[in-house]
Amino acid sequence: MPREIPLFNAMVPALLLIFLGTLVLYLLLDRLLADWDLDRLVWHPALFRLAIFICVFSLLGIWCYS
Amino acid sequence: MKMLRNFLRFLVTLAVTGAAVWLGYRLWQHYLDSPWTRDGVVQAHIADIAADVPGRVVGLEVHDNELVHQGQPLFRIDPERYRIALQAAREQLEKARENLLLRRTQADRRAMLGPDAVAGEHREESLLEERAAEAAYRAAGAAVRLARLNLHRTVILAPATGYVTSLRLRKGDYALAGIPQIALVEQHSFWVYGYFEQTRLSGVRIGDPAEITLLGQKTRLDGRVQGIAAAVADRESHKGDRLVASVRPAFNWVRLAARVPVRVKILRIPKGVHISAGMICTVVVRPDAKERPHAGHQHQKT
Repeated sequence: MPREIPLFNAMVPALLLIFLGTLVLYLLLDRLLADWDLDRLVWHPALFRLAIFICVFSLLGIWCYS
Repeated sequence: MKMLRNFLRFLVTLAVTGAAVWLGYRLWQHYLDSPWTRDGVVQAHIADIAADVPGRVVGLEVHDNELVHQGQPLFRIDPERYRIALQAAREQLEKARENLLLRRTQADRRAMLGPDAVAGEHREESLLEERAAEAAYRAAGAAVRLARLNLHRTVILAPATGYVTSLRLRKGDYALAGIPQIALVEQHSFWVYGYFEQTRLSGVRIGDPAEITLLGQKTRLDGRVQGIAAAVADRESHKGDRLVASVRPAFNWVRLAARVPVRVKILRIPKGVHISAGMICTVVVRPDAKERPHAGHQHQKT
């Protein structure tokens, strides 16, 4: 994975693309999680969802930059 | 039972949050502290080629972007003036030679005549004159050699194998001595300067393998850290009146890390990859990969 990607002829860090990708991935994941009853499984759903988002984003970022 | 479930719910949330914090921290480390930079610039040795003798350019032997070999003529300066100068120097040499012969004969004759016919003072004088004529003869010989050298230097040769670049010289231009006319980019002299923030420098060691990715290209070039610049300009250092230091009074809240050029040698340029000095690239130093065998492995990658 290259560390920078062309966007309208300007090179931007790949992290931006990863962020957008994570957003899409997260929405899909959220849809899945909604089918289970999240309230029943976790203590603080909002915090849990934020943490999931950060996990996915960081994992993709680390994969790209190492 | 309810309590256990509540505890589990709490535990799951805590675990995922903890993982998020840890992963976020790792990403931060990778992105901000690891030794890589997007500010790499390809460099090359460029020779500024100037004429050694002034004159009108009568022949341009190369065209722009041409690969020239060491010793190949680049351009010619009108040799006529220098040819004439050589001719004149030769005539001067001839004159000096005749003069020397004259003085030598004179001195020899006076030496033979004895003290009754020639005063000692005169004999001494002619001896000195002979020596002066000898020196003048040698000087005239040196002048001939100089004139010959000047004539030779009307053809400007390539000092190394390389590419002519940004050629603006035209036939008919007047070339002044010592003023660069042609830029020659030496072949195989390319290297990369990666401008690393000082915060990342702790991860850079001389000899570390490095990956160079030219902007917009997929191929990675293998490199090796050759050196870290020992100095960069101090932006706060100005001189005031009477040579006292002039330092800005305020200290900014946000401080920018200084960047230090790290010289990375390009180990191999794969076929089909064009490289020009001035190209922008990303440089990643991989200190952890130090123990890897170099030659075989790196060839596979590109």
